Amino acid sequence: MAETTAPPAAPPPPNIKLAVGDRVVYPNQGLCKVTGIDTKEVAGQKLTMVSLLREEDGAKVMVPEAKVGAIGVRKVSSGAEVEKVLDFVRSDSDKASLDWKARARTNVERMATGGLLGLAEVVKGLQVLSELRPLPTKERELYNDARHLLVAEISASLNILECDAEDTVDALLFPVGKERPKRTAEEFRALAGGDDDELGLDGDLMGGGLEDEGGEEEPQEPAEGGEEAAEGEEGEEKKPAAKKEKKPKVSREAATQPQEPLKKSVISDVDVTLPQASPIITEPIKRKRGRPPKPKPEGPPPEPKKRGRPPKPKPEGPPPEPKKRGRPPKVAK
Amino acid sequence: MIRVATFDELDPKLVKDLCKILYQAFAVGAEHAGVVTPPSGMNEPWDAHRLIKEAPKVSAFQDDKILYVTSRKLLPRKLATGEVPTFGMSQYNGQRAVVSFAHIKNPNENVKQVARYALQELGHAWGLHHCLDPRCAMYPHWTPSYPNGDASFCVFCRETSEQKIRLAKS
Repeated sequence: MAETTAPPAAPPPPNIKLAVGDRVVYPNQGLCKVTGIDTKEVAGQKLTMVSLLREEDGAKVMVPEAKVGAIGVRKVSSGAEVEKVLDFVRSDSDKASLDWKARARTNVERMATGGLLGLAEVVKGLQVLSELRPLPTKERELYNDARHLLVAEISASLNILECDAEDTVDALLFPVGKERPKRTAEEFRALAGGDDDELGLDGDLMGGGLEDEGGEEEPQEPAEGGEEAAEGEEGEEKKPAAKKEKKPKVSREAATQPQEPLKKSVISDVDVTLPQASPIITEPIKRKRGRPPKPKPEGPPPEPKKRGRPPKPKPEGPPPEPKKRGRPPKVAK
Repeated sequence: MIRVATFDELDPKLVKDLCKILYQAFAVGAEHAGVVTPPSGMNEPWDAHRLIKEAPKVSAFQDDKILYVTSRKLLPRKLATGEVPTFGMSQYNGQRAVVSFAHIKNPNENVKQVARYALQELGHAWGLHHCLDPRCAMYPHWTPSYPNGDASFCVFCRETSEQKIRLAKS
């Protein structure tokens, strides 16, 4: 799924009526049990607080009753909802975005507010992505968290053991007696409507991920970005700051043409503005990697230098007498 | 500590090698806790759910894990999404796990294969989920390539298990 535009802001969910003993799901935390609803005075205000006990480890959480809906606390999904989720997992429709930033944003949103289906979307999306390439550590953790919450809720909803709940989901994700299929980048490209260049695929494939989030504010150099995307490997390499200020190299032909309106194209996760008629867009220049070879000097090759210390110049005239060693003989007085 | 209890008289070398591999994988001591009798009235293939609930107690501390090993077949489980073969079962974040090596030929010679299945069930007992890496012991065990892998975890699962064990000890 290629998320290019932010989804419209959803209306705040209505508050749910909670009673002591209810089982609820706290987003990103998991199953909780309502242990009490009390009125407390906080900063001079009387607030009705709902006390929740996390079932997994017994951690206590207190939430103002008025904010229960806004936080995303919800009741445990019903059997029918679980069926829908399993149908979704069974389908071969969901492909994660190859744009890691969009993917991370969407996944975090799904985890927080997406409900059981949101969890399943995260699991399914990352699972499918892992069939293309191994997940980076942060996404692997996210996958594990989503899977944990999904399994716990399905287990609570269907009233089965967690091992059975996990196998229920995994029987769809890892079909019995079959190996997982290998995905190709084309499948993901097709999902984005064939805009190969706009996926930033090459850059993303080279280990881009949530670990590289620090580089979010470092746009790549504009002109070479296109070339690098074509080259494949240098898509996500971070350049020194000085190099970024280089002016884009445009061919003479393109430079002489009248300036046309600028077109935006996305190359390797960053927006880059380039002239529409730029040859970089139409046909990427194939550059050889590494340092260019040194020009060969003309004329005969110089004689190879002799290694080691140069020999001492021989002194002119007769060679000096060798010094006598030892104590000089005593002179008779 | 991992206590390995067996439902049958197994080759001591098999049990010893299994304990050694478990120790290497979890960095937690593993020892044979003896032979225990299965719950009465069980017919082969055994029901793993019942086995795990009704298996006789083995003396262990609260943070110890008990692995029941059997050479008998386990009944495949019928789930909402289909039937899955059962080579083992575990209580997630619990104490008990059961593993069967009935489907493994020459278990005495293929200890690593037995250990791979055992690792998965013990991993579940420590709260690990299935893994995406086919080489990891936490990969779903019904896939054709699973028995060919090593009895070891991927980096992520190993670190997670270490973290869980550390938390359990503290």
